[in-house]
Amino acid sequence: MIIQGFRRLREAGVLGINSRNADYIMPHNARSALPSADNKVRTKELARKAGIPTPELLHVIENHGNITKILEVLKNIQGFVVKPAQGSGGNGILLISEASTEGFITQSGNVLSREDFAYHISSIISGIYSLGGREDTAVIEALIHPDPVFNSITYQGVPDVRIVVYRGVPIMAMVRLPTKASDGKANLHRGAIGAGIDIGSGITKSAVHKSRVVELHPDTGNYVKGMHIPHWDKMLLMAATAMEMTGLGYLGADIVLDRDRGPVLLELNARPGLAIQIANQSGLRSRLERADGALAGTSLSPDARVALAKELFGAGQR
Amino acid sequence: MKRPVLILTGALFLLTFIIVLYRVIGLEYPLLPAAPGQTWQLLINIRIVPGSEEGVLSLGLPLEHTGKTIIEERVFSGRYSFATLKQGPNRIGVWSGEGIADPQEITYGATILYGPSRNSVSRSPLIGPYRSTLNREEQKFLQELAFTWGRLEPAARLKAIAAALNGDWGASRPKDAVIRQWGELSQKYDRADIALALLTAARLPARATEGLILTEGVYNSPKRWIEVWLSRAWSNLDPETGEISEAAAALLPLAVGEMPAASVRGAEVSDIRWMLRRQVLSNWSLHFQRIIHSDHLLDRWSLFRLPQEFQLTFRILLLVPIGALIICFLRNVIGLPTFGIFMPMLMALAFRSTGLLYGTVIFVGIIGVGFLVRSVLDKFHLLLVPRLSVILTLVIACFTMLALLGNKLGLREFMAVGLIPFVILTMTIERFFVIVEELGTREALLTTAGSTAVAIITYGIIRWETLQLTFFVYPELLLTVVALQIIIGRYTGYRLSEFFRFGSLRGSS
Repeated sequence: MIIQGFRRLREAGVLGINSRNADYIMPHNARSALPSADNKVRTKELARKAGIPTPELLHVIENHGNITKILEVLKNIQGFVVKPAQGSGGNGILLISEASTEGFITQSGNVLSREDFAYHISSIISGIYSLGGREDTAVIEALIHPDPVFNSITYQGVPDVRIVVYRGVPIMAMVRLPTKASDGKANLHRGAIGAGIDIGSGITKSAVHKSRVVELHPDTGNYVKGMHIPHWDKMLLMAATAMEMTGLGYLGADIVLDRDRGPVLLELNARPGLAIQIANQSGLRSRLERADGALAGTSLSPDARVALAKELFGAGQR
Repeated sequence: MKRPVLILTGALFLLTFIIVLYRVIGLEYPLLPAAPGQTWQLLINIRIVPGSEEGVLSLGLPLEHTGKTIIEERVFSGRYSFATLKQGPNRIGVWSGEGIADPQEITYGATILYGPSRNSVSRSPLIGPYRSTLNREEQKFLQELAFTWGRLEPAARLKAIAAALNGDWGASRPKDAVIRQWGELSQKYDRADIALALLTAARLPARATEGLILTEGVYNSPKRWIEVWLSRAWSNLDPETGEISEAAAALLPLAVGEMPAASVRGAEVSDIRWMLRRQVLSNWSLHFQRIIHSDHLLDRWSLFRLPQEFQLTFRILLLVPIGALIICFLRNVIGLPTFGIFMPMLMALAFRSTGLLYGTVIFVGIIGVGFLVRSVLDKFHLLLVPRLSVILTLVIACFTMLALLGNKLGLREFMAVGLIPFVILTMTIERFFVIVEELGTREALLTTAGSTAVAIITYGIIRWETLQLTFFVYPELLLTVVALQIIIGRYTGYRLSEFFRFGSLRGSS
């Protein structure tokens, strides 16, 4: 039964974690290129050079001594995000919508005292959220104002679009929609909805919530399927350009849609998860192999790679 | 799989095969390190304080017997002179000396091999006379008492007598008056003596024996039991409990008949200890006695040439890579979550001293306590390193408390708690807390269960003696272990956990 199940997975072109690591990440992501995705400060710098918009960087806190000074400055900013520069999986991210007399008010409405807030920053610097547990820096970014286009299928928070890019070709995409259960966060393992996107048209086609296939958003009750993602071509191009920008051959680009600025590159991931396959109800491996076949020996511009991706993976093409 | 990987693993397999083959064919090693018989190390330590006259110390020594071989003996006599003499079924070591002023340490050591053996005593021994302490009337009474069992088979007769010694007369219950008289008699004499007399009356050849039960330990006095001849072999009767055992392999008789296991005349024994220790490897060393003198390269570089105490360490160390191999398998092929990579293996090593049950309970218990304290600590907003230090201190405090508790309760397993890797435990508590906070309690418990399962499996493997010996004799098997590790390193198939994770993709295409 198990052997048969494995064969079915293979036939469906599903990529397993061992194969992702050994066949795609290790050969295509040089260790020296990893910091360009793992460190958000560095990603921003590279993106700026490549002309890709990112959330506005307000402050970088590198040591414990600066925390009190920063608190004074932050008091006057209306809404910001605190992130560990080397965090992963959305851990350690704090969304502050406004400062109050007692401290800071988070986006979900909780009041955080100044001491608690300082402790959070200090934890980030100590490295509890960083990948290797090493000392980290805390990044303060401007708050994203999500485009209202997603309002009908989002519960609080900011939805983001994840595009897996292989050798510069967008392979598969999904939009992650926060739910009440995910506490406004866009991480699937926290309970956000993942909706697969057709690469050709930018229209959502299937969705999963907590590993189950769903059609409606559990909190808003609206259809998740059939939603057209605005600026789709621009997003694909941003994702495709990320290869030249970082030198990573296999990456996940997280893009959010800002009300005023349009698509903004939130972060890059050098080890993108495999849940995107569940959201798309489709396997990565077969697409990766097709991309390899089409690319063989050629070197294409980002625009040409986007066109290739639409041709290979667009709806009519399966 | 890629070509260089195939060549590398193939070369490693081949190299292992060639070396093993050379040892088996060229050096005549046994192909299968068959489960060896048990080897026991007996050590008798005596401190003797000389008197004014000639001092004589007699010790019952182990004897080659059914299925028992004495491999070597070592004697340290101090200033006494030593001789052995054979007396009936006994072998006695006699130390004698005169005019010695200072207390002397005397040590007798022997390595005894217990193995299956077919030869046995064929001639039935004589039925001994009654002990001289019993008077004629008492002897007559016992004969009448034993008459009821006369028609039973020897084995059944012994069983009935053993039961009677415990006050269970069964169907052939004698008159109350007889029982009363029996009761008086058993009050008057030592339990072993009266049992012996009753066996004699029932016409069963029997003899008192002093010796040791074959379990590792230190004893201040030998154990007493009765050997009873049942037409083919000796059975052992414990006069205290009335238990009968046929397994001569579980006992080490030292003095048979009226002789005590230790006696002294003209001097004083201030301290005497019998020590028994099990030794698996010395049996193998025997097979490899040749190696010690061999000039072949592989023999000269054999692990058997290491001093004994280091050999033990390497028996375990050689199995650690197998533990790592198992962890590779469980993580990359099965997809079991564990805390860290080698934490389960270090736990398995610690289980060797704490035992599996206590080890698991201590492990889970300390993580539980640590989690509670860590939750409270979270409110104080401590920085990372001091926070970990507090948890480390808590872990050490838990160890101390357990050790003290173990001392009170006489539980060695609790006192061995210090061998649990405390740094790893500290990190595990922190990781557990973070997982609970970020991924939920279910995930944290799953990871704990995964780690414990891996630790238990690894523990089972490193305790497997045949495997220990195989690797000890053929350390080149490590090359094969590396080859297998490389193969798992190149396993790019699905994990068993992905079978479930991508369940929804299995149906569609």
